[in-house]
Amino acid sequence: MTLPLPRQAKQGRLIPARTGETLIRLILLSCAGIAIVTIFFILAFLIRDGYPVLSETGITSFLLGTEWNPTGYPVEKFGIVPLVAGTLCVTLGAMAIAVPLGIACAICVARLAPPAVRAVVKPAIELLAGIPSVVYGFFGLIVLTDWIRATFGVPSGESWLAGSIILGIMALPTIISVSEDALSCVPREFSEGSLALGATHWQTISRVIVPGALPGISAAVILGMGRAIGETMAVLMVTGNAAIVPSPLWNVLSPVRTLTGTLGIEMGEVATGSMHYHALFGVAVVLLVITLAVNLVATTIIGRLREQYAPGRPCGNAVPGSRRASLLSPEMRERAKIILLVAVLSLIGLPAAGIAGYAGCVFLFSLVALSWRRLSPRTTQKIAFFFISAATATVLLILAVILSDILVKGLPALSFEFLTEPPRDLGRSGGIFPAIVGTLYLVAGAIGFALPLGIGAAIYLSEYRAEGKLTKIVRTGTELLNGTPSIVFGLFGFAFLVLFLKFGVSLIAGQITLGLMILPTVIRTTEEALKGVPVSLREGSLALGATQWQTVSRVVIPPAVPGIVTGAILSIGRAAGETAPILFTAVVFSQRFLPDSPFSPVMALPYHLYILATNIPGAEANKYATAVVLLLLVILFYAIAIGIRTHYQKNTHW
Amino acid sequence: MNGMRNPASIATLLALILVMALLACGCTQQAGSQPPTTTSPGKTRESITLSGSTTVLPVAQAAADAYMNTHANAEIMVIGGGSSVGIQAAGEGTASIGMSSRDLKAEEKTRYPGLVSTVIGNDGIALIVHPSNTVGPLTLEQVKGIYQGKYTNWKDLGGPDMAIVVAGRDSASGTREFFHEKVMNKEDFVAGQLEKNSNGAVKQTVAQTPGAIGYVGLGYIDGTVRAVPILVNGTPIEPSVRMVLDRKYPISRPLILVTKGEPAGLAKDYITFLLGPEGQKILEKEGFVPLGQA
Amino acid sequence: MSPDTIIATDRLNLWYGDTRALVDVSMEIPDRKVTALIGPSGCGKSTLIRCFNRMNDILPGCRIEGKVMYHGENIYDNGSDPVSLRRRIGMVFQKPNPFPKSIYENVAYGPRVHGIRDRRTLDSIVEESLRRAALWDEVRDRLSRSALSLSGGQQQRLCIARTLAVEPEVILMDEPCSALDPIATAKVEGLIDELKKQYCVIIVTHNMQQAARVSDYTGFMYLGRLIEFGGTTQIFESPRDELTENYITGRFG
Repeated sequence: MTLPLPRQAKQGRLIPARTGETLIRLILLSCAGIAIVTIFFILAFLIRDGYPVLSETGITSFLLGTEWNPTGYPVEKFGIVPLVAGTLCVTLGAMAIAVPLGIACAICVARLAPPAVRAVVKPAIELLAGIPSVVYGFFGLIVLTDWIRATFGVPSGESWLAGSIILGIMALPTIISVSEDALSCVPREFSEGSLALGATHWQTISRVIVPGALPGISAAVILGMGRAIGETMAVLMVTGNAAIVPSPLWNVLSPVRTLTGTLGIEMGEVATGSMHYHALFGVAVVLLVITLAVNLVATTIIGRLREQYAPGRPCGNAVPGSRRASLLSPEMRERAKIILLVAVLSLIGLPAAGIAGYAGCVFLFSLVALSWRRLSPRTTQKIAFFFISAATATVLLILAVILSDILVKGLPALSFEFLTEPPRDLGRSGGIFPAIVGTLYLVAGAIGFALPLGIGAAIYLSEYRAEGKLTKIVRTGTELLNGTPSIVFGLFGFAFLVLFLKFGVSLIAGQITLGLMILPTVIRTTEEALKGVPVSLREGSLALGATQWQTVSRVVIPPAVPGIVTGAILSIGRAAGETAPILFTAVVFSQRFLPDSPFSPVMALPYHLYILATNIPGAEANKYATAVVLLLLVILFYAIAIGIRTHYQKNTHW
Repeated sequence: MNGMRNPASIATLLALILVMALLACGCTQQAGSQPPTTTSPGKTRESITLSGSTTVLPVAQAAADAYMNTHANAEIMVIGGGSSVGIQAAGEGTASIGMSSRDLKAEEKTRYPGLVSTVIGNDGIALIVHPSNTVGPLTLEQVKGIYQGKYTNWKDLGGPDMAIVVAGRDSASGTREFFHEKVMNKEDFVAGQLEKNSNGAVKQTVAQTPGAIGYVGLGYIDGTVRAVPILVNGTPIEPSVRMVLDRKYPISRPLILVTKGEPAGLAKDYITFLLGPEGQKILEKEGFVPLGQA
Repeated sequence: MSPDTIIATDRLNLWYGDTRALVDVSMEIPDRKVTALIGPSGCGKSTLIRCFNRMNDILPGCRIEGKVMYHGENIYDNGSDPVSLRRRIGMVFQKPNPFPKSIYENVAYGPRVHGIRDRRTLDSIVEESLRRAALWDEVRDRLSRSALSLSGGQQQRLCIARTLAVEPEVILMDEPCSALDPIATAKVEGLIDELKKQYCVIIVTHNMQQAARVSDYTGFMYLGRLIEFGGTTQIFESPRDELTENYITGRFG
């Protein structure tokens, strides 16, 4: 039997890329092109509508004004200092809560927990990410703020602290799952090398594994921060939204207002074309600039870390390690570490001043930190593991509290009729069938829009382009969009799709808006998944004479499928739970017929919940039941994602 | 890599995309093929969209439900979003009727000169406090003082010794704008005011905060909060539909439907229905104040 | 047990899940000698030396029966501590695995985790260890460079230096030269010869010539069993077992 060699090999002629190849390249290029254009189109749109406020009120009075009072009489005041302060305060507070908890929890899951515990904890934490933000806000408003009021004896619990706690909880899943991945990816050789030298488990973790995973952990923190900065619905329900700078500056119990909260509460009612309207777009642009700054700093830090710990990215390809030495001498680094520790401690300590319980923790912490060196490795290991387990338990407890609160109140109202009938009496009775269907339509459309485009763009960028200007521009653009609050997408969808393209408030406008929102996530996760495939596999295929597309489609994509699918389904979960982007573009409150064309509006679960919770008195039971259905739906998507991933992880090795 | 696995993975990917596609198609088909059960043959279905203020939304929806029950060929869909979204939608023609809980602003009038407003009812605004708060009736001057930050403790107003937590609506809200003009005489609110984006959220805050005061539409008053009577010329007036109708209660504002030009077709029928006795009854049931004889 | 035996196993059995990787292995390893373990791939030789410093403990699904006596104590006894054990029994891995830190930090890592903080002491430990690993002259000017900037052979010697810095008694080497070129291999072999003056060295190797060159004792393993154990000369020149003979004469494996 002869080997079925391709014809040109037999003929011995060298034929350049075939037309099929060129066509595919073109398709992929256009995907990338569309993605880029869309991204910058949105940015340009925001800047265009935000510009008038700068030209009219002046840059200084906008950026440095300390008063935000759009209804001020006789003069409206648009000073964003209190809003920026609020955003920074709430975000920093959230990070102070989420970073230690998240990293500890990631260490626990990745390196300490026995497989059985890990199998439970990891998906549980990912479920935390699946809870829609309206549900968090709902929980925060009713349970958390009340708890803060009673615990700290303040007149109102709606505060910086409440915002930070809610955002911290919301950032936790991101921080945990990304750090956990990074920690699991540190190759076994490193930990074996360390253990073989007689280092304890904790010494190995703290000195070899965590430093090795530092790029990934930093990325996790940044991603979490992005989520915290961009969150709208939950944060506006719990911070009190008073546009003031906390006084004194560390007063965590003061109400604050964030940039996103401002957009969230004022956008719906503001008169189009008024200065207030432009000011809100100005706020959106400032938000983008902050996101951009955070991303730039983050990219620089991560880049530097990657250089230092180059092969510490062992999950990825065999990127040859950079030959650069570390920037600081060991002693300087030791000193820098102490300074950093003090800084972190004070960062945690500062907002916590005056809060007895937390101060106690900080005291205990400092005590341990001071005497750390005098303790035997065994004792430090015990203390460290105690803190780590405590952190993990805390995270799980939070999850349990939120879920049980909603389930206990919502499950009794669930019934077959509730799931299969349209709402009656403004949703106080009847069911939510059209809302369930509407949500599925919206999500299917969004994914149908974003998945091909995003995957195509990602393949082009990662497989057909060397790292260069274009990839950098796209990466910056996607990261910017990733940090853009979802309400901004809603705004864009309203002004561009609904008004300019005359789609009207419609299913299709909502689908595209949601699709745009998840596009960056799809591009990003796909790129990550493709990068995770070792270069050697590509080389192996190309060396056999396969074309670029053959290599990509047969060798690179298959092992990346679980990553891509996970990304896609996580996006679905996010799209299903979002309120802000569909608020102005796609939803109606009540509907008796299912939509018959893409141009008719639909009902959707998150919006239904939002209206029941805020504008319909006396819909308590159905409100919770809707929350439960939304929660279960999103959790279902996540469970599928987790299932697919586990399935493939078991079957893919190299 | 294992050679056998690649086709399997690709197949999975394809299958997934296929499922998505099928889901999408299936959905539209199902939607398309499902005949609207209430449509009587021979007559074409007419449909209009209302968009805008979330305050007006419950009334508009309830009226739409009632109207559609008797007119099988009509389809009326109600979209929230906010007063300005509604006015813009009506002005741009993306919705047949805009709902607003405030008057049109100058910018909006210049931008959309053809808009016609119809008042369909009134919304009484009640001041609410925590049920445990024993404070007596307040004058409008005192309410203004509270919202300006002049009073910081309930004992200054004859109530318990407790810090006042001021809760109100966001600065783009029609309710707040009205309150700002009517109660505050356009003077600034205290900076530490908690700002909420809906009546429901204000009520929720007041219901769980002993020291709080807030303002909401009459429909939101229930057992979880206590409505404070307003002293008018020495007489305490309870916030109620009756008192607003009798023009005794001082804080109420109009609910407005906006159309591009005079309403016509189904929009006209719907507005007429809403202004009629049945529509006004629905309005009252949702906690708003009917137009009355005046 | 002869007086200079440092590690002895007694009917050692090991399972990975349901797979039995070691079957009744009993052997005595003398101190300050080089002992080589040879055998075809998958015969359990790496598994066996990983038992000596309890590196198998970190693998999930691994179960051990039998005894490993180190200085007369069973290291798998309940009170026995793997961490202090590993300080005394060092290990060099198949693939060089320097940490992504500087050369200096790699060597200083062990002493640091064992509580040495004095800079001068560390400096002298680092220098001494690198000298003993015959690497000092090549890296003395670039101690703060990343360890990953070294060549493969240098990296492996760095890993040996790193092991020496903890001052162990026994050094386990799991195919230390399999990833190295012949010149680097020769250097490492020379080093092993030096090391046996002070340490007990146990080396796993695929390369029979290497075993013959560097070791004093040789054990031949096959399918998880220790088939034959004895002086290297005896094993290579007059093997008692037919399997051993077949293997060293290249008839299978």
